Amino acid sequence: MKKFIIIFAVLTFVTSVFTQAQDVSQLTAQCAANAGDVMYLKDFVVKLDQGTPGGAPPTARFALLLSKSVVYRFSICSAPNSDGEAVLQLFDMNTLLGSTFISATGKDFPFFDFKCQKTGVYHVFISFKEGKAGEGVGIMSYVKKL
Amino acid sequence: MPKVFVYFMIILAFVAVSCKSGGQGKDAGLEIPDSVLNAGVEISEEVMQDIVQNISSPVEMAAMIKDLGVPFSNKYISTTERVGDLATSFQQSLNLGIYAADLGYLNMYNKTSAVVDYLTAIKTLADAIKVGQFFDFTTLKRLATNSKNLDSLMYISVHSFNQMDKYLHSNNRTNLSALMVTGVWIEGLYLGTQVYKAIPNKELADRIGEQKLTLEQLMLILDKYQQDKQYTKLLGELQLLKDLFKSVDITVKPGEPQMIEVDGMLSIVQGDVSIIEMSPEILGNIIATTEQVRNRLISF
Repeated sequence: MKKFIIIFAVLTFVTSVFTQAQDVSQLTAQCAANAGDVMYLKDFVVKLDQGTPGGAPPTARFALLLSKSVVYRFSICSAPNSDGEAVLQLFDMNTLLGSTFISATGKDFPFFDFKCQKTGVYHVFISFKEGKAGEGVGIMSYVKKL
Repeated sequence: MPKVFVYFMIILAFVAVSCKSGGQGKDAGLEIPDSVLNAGVEISEEVMQDIVQNISSPVEMAAMIKDLGVPFSNKYISTTERVGDLATSFQQSLNLGIYAADLGYLNMYNKTSAVVDYLTAIKTLADAIKVGQFFDFTTLKRLATNSKNLDSLMYISVHSFNQMDKYLHSNNRTNLSALMVTGVWIEGLYLGTQVYKAIPNKELADRIGEQKLTLEQLMLILDKYQQDKQYTKLLGELQLLKDLFKSVDITVKPGEPQMIEVDGMLSIVQGDVSIIEMSPEILGNIIATTEQVRNRLISF
């Protein structure tokens, strides 16, 4: 009996890992499709734990090289089972250039377009509102040449 | 006996998980662990965050060239006949990047008849460096035979490349990832410079000049492996270009970003503007040297 319990536990573990990988893949494909009539370039898959009370929300950071005279689209999607809602922000050094959540108005956007005028290294930050735990994916797409 | 059985099941489970992590591979057999195959430099999570992700995309240069209205030419792409001669993981990774850029160019112009050759070449090289499980050859081949599926073909091609790159990173094989990215970059630059040679264009000249920044990032990554002779040779080739790019001036005119919302869509226009300046002589030298370096790299 013990043997069967162990086999069952191992199979459950393997199945859950497979399912998780498939879910991420589907979420990425869905998020890329939601970005509209643009060309997918890169995805940023994140899985973040809940933040500590009063602390900064856990954030994933990605460095990117963007080119001048190109319009890029940055999209964000939260996994259906996420506690929090994902927010994507684009930074040039310490300057916030764009965000899928405008805190001043409380408005969310599934994506924003960035008209890049300066080739260089930028950073994408992904976090979940109120520091909640969650899984999500950010997508960077090519829209057009400026 | 039960303990042995438990250990066996746990090992079996881990082997299954590691082999299937890409999803649909027929290569999910008993692979030699990557860490044994290629003892790459281990990079911490903190440092990984600072590594630039999209140093070079297999489609961005091609997209820009298409947007400029430049017609397709198969003169700019590398032949796939060499694949069988690529014996080392160094050659295989570098050329995988080169073919990925060529595939991006072909896809961009919807040249689906030629795409299958490049898909086959990439699949062969991806299998050779044990990342073939991320390259869904069957689906891609099916999509390539139907011109209506161009968006899906583009998405799966680029996504597969990204997955291979991520897998190499997460398995301490960043040395091979760096080569793939180098391959993409040199082929993209070769494409851009060859197109410029045929049809000079200011925007393309700027795009070529700003590769100075990309090359700096690329060489920072490759420098980690300079103790390996093949990498030393590669760095030597790239240094030829870096020496020329030193004469390219990139300055930034500062400005405030603007946020515009139209019909519920948010757009951000960057305020800073970079200005790229280089003499026609330097540009000519970059074009000529890129051709020489790229041709030497494909015969490395």
